[in-house]
Amino acid sequence: MSKEITLDTPIEELVKEHPEAVGFLARHKVRCIRCGEPLWLTVGELLNEEGVENHQFLIDELKRYLNTKKSPDP
Amino acid sequence: MKALLEKLHIKEVNIGACAGADAWYEDAEGPELVSYNPTTGEALAKVIQATEKTCNQVVSQALEAFKSWRMIPAPKRGLVVRDLGEALRDFKEPLGELVTLEMGKIKAEGVGEVQEMIDICDFAVGLSRQLYGLTIQSERLQHRMFEQWHPLGIVGVITAFNFPVAVWSWNAAIASVCGDTVLWKPSSETPLTSIAVQHIANRVMADHGIKGIFNLVVGEGSVVGERMINDKLIPLISFTGSTEMGKRVSEAVVRHFGRSILELGGNNAIIVAEDADLEMAVRTIIFGAVGTAGQRCTTTRRIIIHKSIAPELTERIINSYKQVPIGDPMDEGILMGPLVNKAAVEDMMAALDKAKEQGGKLLYGGKRLPDKGERFVEPTVVKMPAQTEIVHLETFAPILYLLEYEDIEEAIQIHNEVPQGLSSAIFTTNLLKAEKFLSHEGSDCGIANVNIGTSGAEIGGAFGGEKETGGGRESGSDAWKGYMRRQTNTINWSKELPLAQGIKFGD
Repeated sequence: MSKEITLDTPIEELVKEHPEAVGFLARHKVRCIRCGEPLWLTVGELLNEEGVENHQFLIDELKRYLNTKKSPDP
Repeated sequence: MKALLEKLHIKEVNIGACAGADAWYEDAEGPELVSYNPTTGEALAKVIQATEKTCNQVVSQALEAFKSWRMIPAPKRGLVVRDLGEALRDFKEPLGELVTLEMGKIKAEGVGEVQEMIDICDFAVGLSRQLYGLTIQSERLQHRMFEQWHPLGIVGVITAFNFPVAVWSWNAAIASVCGDTVLWKPSSETPLTSIAVQHIANRVMADHGIKGIFNLVVGEGSVVGERMINDKLIPLISFTGSTEMGKRVSEAVVRHFGRSILELGGNNAIIVAEDADLEMAVRTIIFGAVGTAGQRCTTTRRIIIHKSIAPELTERIINSYKQVPIGDPMDEGILMGPLVNKAAVEDMMAALDKAKEQGGKLLYGGKRLPDKGERFVEPTVVKMPAQTEIVHLETFAPILYLLEYEDIEEAIQIHNEVPQGLSSAIFTTNLLKAEKFLSHEGSDCGIANVNIGTSGAEIGGAFGGEKETGGGRESGSDAWKGYMRRQTNTINWSKELPLAQGIKFGD
């Protein structure tokens, strides 16, 4: 079972465990992978860098989105 | 598959920290990394990743090895690299196949990548006798002034998945003849190819009775990568990856006054002039945009077409795209394999949504290909009304944006407008346009070609780019200077003590 997504979740882990998160976040102007590689940041650090104001709201939205998209392998 | 992995000494579970044949370091606390075949989604093997503890062990070995390696004459260091090249010749086919198996580029490109390793080893062997310094005319009587190039120390090499072995070799072959030792952190997408290379390097080091010259630490960027870039015992980091990570690497390295060689994002374009040979242009565009499924730093991402030929060239490109065989990259005749992982597919789809929002017209492709596998997509052509925000970004996927221009000045302006500056090309039979493109007011990229595409560089030239591509240079030409420290020496063989600029001090 994958760990809960928090502000401290490394992007490397997020991308591996929840690849669908990449598309969702990219549509919200938050790009987790560049040149095909995940950034060495936590979710919170990336949201800060991208100027997202309400971090928790976006994480909650992401979780809701992922609940509708379960995927069998990373 | 099993036979291939065995041939390269890949086990079911492998250790991810190594400094030589008898120096594999395992930490029971090291997290496990599973490597997948992107074509099938099947797990290939596991790696116990390096931890802080095992990283420290490897760095100690590399540092110890440097103390003696730097004193070995460079041409003798070249003999080790010569043997590395020979060993790579022995393993060319299986190592190339493993590249294909682990990251999904077609077999011809996988084997070609190993050939690139061999080529750079050959180059480095010659270089080992040519690490020249200048002799400079001194203004003082009976003085001799000259430059020497000394080794730096441990060179940290951080590579990306898309060229999982070639980029290591560009750095490792050059750095090692320069007298440095090498610490490699590969991409977490391609740990097995790095372990296979380490076994080959171990064999060569053992034959020469040495260890600690070529070293490996497989691990997460946020753990192993951060440790490397913040370590003042590592005076040079050669980083291949994104602009955003390059900034982070550069800032960390500068804090301890280290150096970095940055090979970062590209957003490469080909200008196709009205007088271009369209047959040649189309073949080049397909190789540049579709090859490695659009996941090269030098992938052709933008075509800037003269208005008068836009309808014809667009039609020809689309007809060619329709004929691109997509499938298992190990199979003969296939030209495009999968993307490296599912996240890359998601990233591509999000970029296409944005392109459409910004007025892009999808001319070809744009869909996932689930029947072939979860990581397969169609190569895609999008006509853009202008160079919008999404076109300024590098999306690591086979998306080709078409833009139009009216005169060569406008073409160059569109070309140079993006923040990246890696590779560029113009197709023209007009000498004036070609020269303008290569001139000071032409392409602002590190690589600028005429009637050749943006990808497929030879090892003999210096590879790298300007602006947000980072400014670093690797591989050929005089890129070796980045791996050494320059020392200016003056010897006074007179019996006087003249000062420079004729200054008199206490005479």
